[in-house]
Amino acid sequence: MPRPKRKAAVPTRSSDADSSARPEPKKPRGNQFNRIDQLFESYVNKTLGLIDPEGIEALCNDVNVNHTDVRMLIFAWKMKAEKQGYFSKDEWRRGLKCLGADTRPKLKKAIEGLDKELKVPECFEDFYSYAFQYCLTEEKQRSVDIETICELLNIVLKSEFPNQVNLLVEYLKVQNDYRALNMDQWRSFYRFFKEVDFHDLENYDSSQAWTVIIDNFVEWLKEKEKN
Amino acid sequence: MSSQKKRTFQIEAFKHRVVVDPKYAEKTWKVLEHAIHEIYNHNASGLSFEELYSHSPLPLDGVWNTLFRIHQFMPWCKNSEVAWNAYNMVLHKFGEKLYSGLVTTMTSHLKEISQSIESAQGEIFLEELNRKWIDHNKALQMIRDILMYMDRTFIPSSHKTPVHELGLNLWRDVVIHSSKTQARLRDTLLELVLRERNGEVINRGLMRNIIKMLMDLGLSVYQEDFEKHFLSVSANFYCLESQKFIETCDCGDYLKKAERRLNEEIERVSHYLDPRSEIKITNVVEKEMIDSHMHTLVHMENSGLVNMLVDDKYEDLGRMYSLFRRVPTGLTVVKDVMTAFVRDTGKQLVMDPERLRDPVDFVQRLLDLKDKYDKIINMSFTNDKTFQNALNSSFEHFINLNARSPEFISLFVDDKLRRGLKGVGEEDVEIVLDKVMMLFRYLQEKDVFEKYYKQHLAKRLLSGKTISDDAERSLIVKLKTECGYQFTSKLEGMFTDMKTSYDTMQGFYASQSDVGDSPSLVVHVLTTGSWPTQPSPQCNLPSELLGVCEKFRAYYLGTHNGRRLSWQTNMGTADLKATFGKGQKHELNVSTYQMCVLMLFNNADRLTCKEIEQATGIPLLDLKRCLQSLACVKGKNVLRKEPMSKDIAEDDTFFFNDKFTSKFFKVKIGTVVAQRESEPENLETRQRVEEDRKPQIEAAIVRIMKSRRTLDHNNIVAEVTKQLQSRFLPNPVVIKKRIESLIEREFLERDRVDRKLYRYLA
Repeated sequence: MPRPKRKAAVPTRSSDADSSARPEPKKPRGNQFNRIDQLFESYVNKTLGLIDPEGIEALCNDVNVNHTDVRMLIFAWKMKAEKQGYFSKDEWRRGLKCLGADTRPKLKKAIEGLDKELKVPECFEDFYSYAFQYCLTEEKQRSVDIETICELLNIVLKSEFPNQVNLLVEYLKVQNDYRALNMDQWRSFYRFFKEVDFHDLENYDSSQAWTVIIDNFVEWLKEKEKN
Repeated sequence: MSSQKKRTFQIEAFKHRVVVDPKYAEKTWKVLEHAIHEIYNHNASGLSFEELYSHSPLPLDGVWNTLFRIHQFMPWCKNSEVAWNAYNMVLHKFGEKLYSGLVTTMTSHLKEISQSIESAQGEIFLEELNRKWIDHNKALQMIRDILMYMDRTFIPSSHKTPVHELGLNLWRDVVIHSSKTQARLRDTLLELVLRERNGEVINRGLMRNIIKMLMDLGLSVYQEDFEKHFLSVSANFYCLESQKFIETCDCGDYLKKAERRLNEEIERVSHYLDPRSEIKITNVVEKEMIDSHMHTLVHMENSGLVNMLVDDKYEDLGRMYSLFRRVPTGLTVVKDVMTAFVRDTGKQLVMDPERLRDPVDFVQRLLDLKDKYDKIINMSFTNDKTFQNALNSSFEHFINLNARSPEFISLFVDDKLRRGLKGVGEEDVEIVLDKVMMLFRYLQEKDVFEKYYKQHLAKRLLSGKTISDDAERSLIVKLKTECGYQFTSKLEGMFTDMKTSYDTMQGFYASQSDVGDSPSLVVHVLTTGSWPTQPSPQCNLPSELLGVCEKFRAYYLGTHNGRRLSWQTNMGTADLKATFGKGQKHELNVSTYQMCVLMLFNNADRLTCKEIEQATGIPLLDLKRCLQSLACVKGKNVLRKEPMSKDIAEDDTFFFNDKFTSKFFKVKIGTVVAQRESEPENLETRQRVEEDRKPQIEAAIVRIMKSRRTLDHNNIVAEVTKQLQSRFLPNPVVIKKRIESLIEREFLERDRVDRKLYRYLA
């Protein structure tokens, strides 16, 4: 007697899944999505159809994380949110699926632990570039003003490179060459912190294709050391 | 008997019977011994063997021939017994005895000879040695002839030394190397050389013979017994002498002395030493006299290289060159000192604030400096290429130390083309222009030169003040050859505009039916891209002009659709007819601005600076300069100023100067001549140049990346520098900034993994 074919349960993996998401046996899709959407609805601005800054504020309260906290930024990164201060439905779904959270408590827990997401270097670099992009508010905008850059550095890099960030921020505030920086320059900061030892600046080689602002920064550091 | 490969005679030819008998051998040897003695003894009697040889050439083969010869020159030898005996002995294997007997006999004779030489007194020593040597050679010749058969059969097979060589060796060992003679010979020879060096005349022939003797005894004898000591003694001699000279002579004299000694030694070798010694002794002289004192000589105070250069001492310099050339690094030392000095001189020249006041003089001095050293290199250094290159690199170095060099060179050209080359023949004009091109080639910032050259050319063309159109064009052709079409296309455009304007004017006046009283207008229409752009705010032209200007504008725009004309009031000139107080009339040649100012005085007696500014609309800085030229310059003061100070204040009042006089009818007051820029102007030009360079650098980067697709940072910088070097030397930091700008605008991207790698984005 032929046996009825049973449909194999295919564990679906979202294309955004990162290292923290493990393939769990999925409940019927419908439920999970519903709960995620409900959460979305709880914060959405009805007229816009998006979660706006107010909604984000509310979310922050609920999860007990300040909106300037780096974890909110990581959250936005997970969502691949395009516009600063706003989350679309797709983005929301993407983010929450990624975190494996579909209830408020789960979301809170997930967001609280977001800073651990950056342990893998490739992830961090991706996040780091995203952080800059997130600040480009205007269409065709390619650079971000120095003030914002300084804030961003503090949020994103201070925990790993406290000393270096302080020096760089100090420099950025006193220099006059640039009033805004582009993505290439932004990226060069992280690489610089990773690759160059601040105690060993004598070996720094300006012909090594570091950005000009980094060259100038090193000059400034050397001068500072002399005095 | 050993088997011989070459038999030159047949044994069967002998009819004598051969007896093998030891006693016979002894007897035979005695005869031979006696013969040898006789030969030596006859040496003493001075027989002329040459005469005996003269009748027939010596055939070398065959015992019979030998016998025949012996018959000829040994009359005391009744028959050929001697040679026959020898032959016998060999034949019967008594060659050993013969040979050793020969050695013994010769040795004992030579011992006698040696003693006689040793006992020779003083001068006689060498002569005696020489004489005995000559005799020995003759004897040896004869003995060899007698024993020729042995030489050719027994000796090779028993590996003994051939007779001739044996004779020489014995001479060497017994006579020359006798304990008393060896040192004495050496010392005598060296003594003679010393005396000759000290100016005495010595017997060169005798020297030559003795030296030849040593050579004949073998190269190692010559070297060990003579040459080695000769060289070491010479080294000492020249070491001391050079020390003495250094302390007492100046550089030029010293070099003369060194040259003389060198020539002496060469001549000495040619007269009585082995030619192979020449290089060795010259090396000694070079080392002791030149190499050891190179730096002292070059840097000698008041007479060293630098002094020679300054005073154009061509002969001394030539001598230094040819002497120093002989020692390793000699010319390098000369070249380095010269280079350093030229650089220093040049640097002082270009940095001297006094020199910077007069650009034409500045450039002339540079040209003079080049001429001076070109001549030195030509006359004294045989046009040596490495020196020429060193000179070029020196010039390239210091010319670029002064950032205003490009401007000054252009001003120099301007001066020449405006008046300096007036009346000069075509060939000479070319020479001057070629020299200018030579300086131009040294410039790193050729684009700066281009900027100024354009400005100055524009002024020359517009004021009609060039002495020769041909000269102008000739220079442009040279620039084009050097830098390519791009460099000169705009310059050529300027010439074209001048020509076209001429034609336009013709057309304009042809079209005007009624000229009337309006002032005659000459318009140069300049194509904006080709001429140096200077923003020109419109000033208010006098009403008398407005009519004809409008007519021209209408005419021109009528024939050229879609163009825009704007009057460049800062570049024009005007001729005014003026009548002064006592009725004296003059024609004033002025700039457009000056004209606007002066025309105001037709309707007003007095005007303040401020009023003039308002009426004419001329920018204040230009106006002040304008007023200064009209009121503060002696001989050109058509205006009077109160107060009489040189500075212009806003409230200063100006009057028409009734009392103006000049002995010329035509008075030129225009300020359109090219002058060196003031500091602020210079700064502005520099900034414009820097701005112009940015797009050029970017274009180069894009060009390179488009063809290479990916390239690392250092290579881009190198390629860009190479591409632009004919115009200027790009700053690597500026290149980096341009790359960053291109990244931002997404023409390029930086590789994610290798920060130093860039990629072209299509």
